[in-house]
This record gives sequence, structure tokens and C-alpha cells, in this order.
Amino acid sequence: MEKLILMVKNLKKIYNNKIILDIDYLGFQESKIYAIVGPNGSGKTTLLNILNLLAKSEEGQIFFRDQEIIINSNSKILEIRRKMTLVDQDPFLFQSTVYGNVAYGLKVRSLSSIVQKNRIKNALEMVGLSGFENRKADQLSGGEAQRVVIARALVIEPEILFLDEPTASIDQKHIDKVEKIITKIRRELKTTVIFTTHDLSQAYRLADEVISLLDGKIIQQIPENLLRGEIVEEEDGSKRFKTMGNIKFAIVSEKIGPAYISIDPRDIILSYEPFQSSARNSFLGKTTKIIEQNHLVKLEIDIGIPLVVIITRESFFKMNFNLGSKVYLTFKASAVRLY
Amino acid sequence: MNYILIGIKQAFQLIFSLDREIFSIVLLSLKVSLTAIALSSLLGIPLGFLITIKNFYGKKLIIILMNTLLAFPTVVVGLIVYSFISRRGPLGAFGLLFTPTAMIIGQFILALPIIIALTHSAVQGIDKRVEKTALTLGANKLQSAWAVLKEARYAILEAITTAFGRVIAEVGAAMMLGGNIKGSTRTMTTAIALETSKGEFGFGIALGTILLLIALVVNIFHHYFQSRRI
Repeated sequence: MEKLILMVKNLKKIYNNKIILDIDYLGFQESKIYAIVGPNGSGKTTLLNILNLLAKSEEGQIFFRDQEIIINSNSKILEIRRKMTLVDQDPFLFQSTVYGNVAYGLKVRSLSSIVQKNRIKNALEMVGLSGFENRKADQLSGGEAQRVVIARALVIEPEILFLDEPTASIDQKHIDKVEKIITKIRRELKTTVIFTTHDLSQAYRLADEVISLLDGKIIQQIPENLLRGEIVEEEDGSKRFKTMGNIKFAIVSEKIGPAYISIDPRDIILSYEPFQSSARNSFLGKTTKIIEQNHLVKLEIDIGIPLVVIITRESFFKMNFNLGSKVYLTFKASAVRLY
Repeated sequence: MNYILIGIKQAFQLIFSLDREIFSIVLLSLKVSLTAIALSSLLGIPLGFLITIKNFYGKKLIIILMNTLLAFPTVVVGLIVYSFISRRGPLGAFGLLFTPTAMIIGQFILALPIIIALTHSAVQGIDKRVEKTALTLGANKLQSAWAVLKEARYAILEAITTAFGRVIAEVGAAMMLGGNIKGSTRTMTTAIALETSKGEFGFGIALGTILLLIALVVNIFHHYFQSRRI
């Protein structure tokens, strides 16, 4: 059996009298990549901050390699905190050069300047930024800054690397680069990587294990097209689910109030003309992403919010879809799953 | 009109002949003001930092008070310090009145609120992510505080130059506490005041020119720090 590097038990985080995290057990094995997925507000960032010992939880125990971390001992926390590091979603670079930024974690650990120089050289090589040492931090592009931030974390040689939404705010070209770096880190440095993302396919592409978080709880598997909103009753008595952008879906429900729904991407029918059928949900949208996966094609269609639709390769070519194609999405009220 | 031209001519003769008296006055002024600024920075920067990061009762009041004291009348500072260190005052036994130390105390009190208030606004303007970034990279509490101060470094240097500009040019406290004693407590500003009233325009203009040059240099630094901050 693989060795656990980090584990939490009976973790509860309460904020404003609301339980925002409620996890019975969560274990991370050495040198594996974990993805934590879930919609906005599901508690991903809070969980990372607690695991990285930057935030405290009201209840629960945290173990680092079988050793319980006693929250009251500041020097012990610092010692373990220095074995891991977190790269924030919206990272900050110090007003300094690339070298000065990457050196920071080594300086606070009082490592010799020879060790610093060597490690910084290797870390910059790892993220493909050799020769950037003397560049000013404020003269970097968004993607370059993100890689400097990763190098600044790697140079510490952490046992666990936390990445909060590492690709949320950069363009596609840099997303590919950052994803390659993540797999390279595990392969070459054997570091345990724990990252959050709201991109399910990214999670499955990179991670050995995907942890799904919904409303602060771990659930079996997070479905595609998971949306948060509210069930409202219409004048005619039918129930609708209202979500961002005032988009409403016909659903089958007894209750009203705040809720999560998901729509299976295989249950959505695409057509160029409005589709005459008994299905009560029909929306016009624009194709914004096309990802081919073996014999299936995954499309992202923006109807005010992005929805994922999966169709076969055959129908994709028959329909002749392109980026920007306007299409109708049709699905039954009963295809909307309620949580 | 003629006496002004004669005064200017005399002034340049005094400056370029490196007149001993002129330069001993300039050196004393610099010594007093730089010491006062060093001491008020040593106390004011940590205080301004702590006021910003800590939450406590009366915090707003202190900030308002410090901002009010930015315009502390120099003669009032002179008056307060005088009443403490004069022979009859509680600190009279130390014999500080009419010494450079007395002037340093006065200028220290003038500079302190400037350093505190401007350090406060400098630290407040620093990105909230600096502290968290430092902590995630393994900094302890003190190291992360230092990282925040370092990010604010140019704004804090601006605070120091602002305070220096104020104390080097003030006359009220220096006059009341130093007493303008030749060779001991005579600074540029007190000398200008005295020599002008004596009708020694050349001497006054020479010192005034040097004071303006110092102000110019301080402002050049000030603008350099300001440009680096953005």
C-alpha cells in the first residue's frame, strides 16, 4: 500500500454560522496528482488553505505523514508549513526581478547563496524560463508570471504542491504549458500535487484521482453541467430552475428554493432549426469550444452560460459544426437531475 | 535695490570661498535634522506599520490625530519641549535647553507624526496578497511583515524625505530650543533669521541658497522614489 502524506479527519469549517466544509475523511498519497473539482463556492479554496495550514478549521484533525499537527504549536506548524506550498489562483509577484521572486522561499529558510543559485537555475529551467533571471516582475505576460510563480514554489522543493485554479486566468496556449509542467513536476520531482479546477476534463486528464466537492462535502463524482440556482414556481404551477443570467430550465420537482442541478451532456439534442418535440427545454446558443475525444466530440455551447454537449463523431461531421455555429439545444425536463 | 545685488555677490563669494562659519552652520543643521529623522524613522516606521495591520480600540482616532499633527506648528512644539526641559521643567536637571540635543528632540517630535501617518498610508496601499504569498512560501510572522514593508519601501522612503524636508526648513523649534548660539546651536534657518535682521544680507542669502539646494536634492530623491512606486 502507498504511503499517505497528508490526511484529514472529521474536518468542519464554519463561517458566519454556516458549515462551509464538512469532510469525514480525506487522504493523499505520496507522489500522486489530485484534482479537487466543484462549482464556485463549493469550498475548494478554503480546503486548500486549511490543508496548507494557512487557515484553521473549527473541528477536525490534520495528519502529516502519520503525525498529527497540533494547531496550537506555532513553531511546529511553521516546520510542516515549510514542507509544502500553495500557488494562489490570482498570484502575486514581489516588486523585484524574476530571480528575486524565485529566491524568496530560499531566503526565508536561510539557505546558502550557492544552493539558492543552483536551485533557482533548475526551477526556471523546469518551467521553461531560463534566462529570465533579471527580468522585472512587472514586465512579464500573464502566462510567464504564472510560470514564475510555479518556479518560485518548486524551488522550495516542497513535498506537497498546492495549486489553486492554476489555469483559470490564462489563455489556451499557456494552459497547455502549465498542464505539461504539472505532469513534469510529478514525473521528475515526485512531488505530490493537489490542484483545484472547475474544468472536469482537465481534472481527469492530469490527475490520478479526482475529488469532487459540492457544498463543502465530498461526493462520489461531479457531473458535467452542474449548476447552482433556485427552483421557482411559475404562475401556471410548473416548476423552473433559475440560474445565472436569468436562464430558466423546465424541471420536474416537488420542492422550491436553492438547489443544484445537472444536465447529462448526452441527453441534449442539437439542431440547426427549432426542434419540434415534447421536450420542454429549448435554447439557442453559440458553439464556443470543440474537443474531439476518440469516437465522441465534446462541444461547449454558450446559451448565456456554457453547457457541455457530447455527440458522436459521426453526427458531428454530418452536422458540420464549427466554432461560432448557432445551434438549438433541446432536452426534456426529466433530463435535468436535481440534487 | 543695490544692497540686494551686493548681498548676492557676497553670498557667492562666501559659498565659493568655502567660508568656515557658513559650512559649520550647514553641517550642524544637517547633523541635527538627520539625527532627528533617523530616530523618528526608527520609531515611526514600526509604529505606522503596527497601526495599519493591528485592529484595536481607538485606531481611527490615532490616525486622525497623526494626520492633524502633520501641520504641527513648529513654535508649539518648541513651546512644549521648552516647558519640559527648561530649568524649572520636569526634565530641567539634564540641562538640555539650548543644546543640539534639544533641537533634535523638537525636530524628532515634528517628524514623528509625518513618518507614522505616511507609513500608515504606504502600508495600507500594499496589495493584501503580499502577506499570504510570503506565508505560503514559508515565511514566519516577522518575515512576512518584512515582505510587506519591503513592498512599501519606496512609499516609506517618500515619507522620510517629506519629514526631512519639513525639519531642515523649520525655524521655530530650532530657535526656541537651540537659542541660536554661534558655533553651538546656530542652524541655517536660525542664522538666516538673525543675519537678515542684522542687515547681513550676504550671509543670509548664502545660507538660503544652500538650504534651497538641499531642498532641491531632497525633492529629486522624493520624485525618484515616487516614480519607482508606480
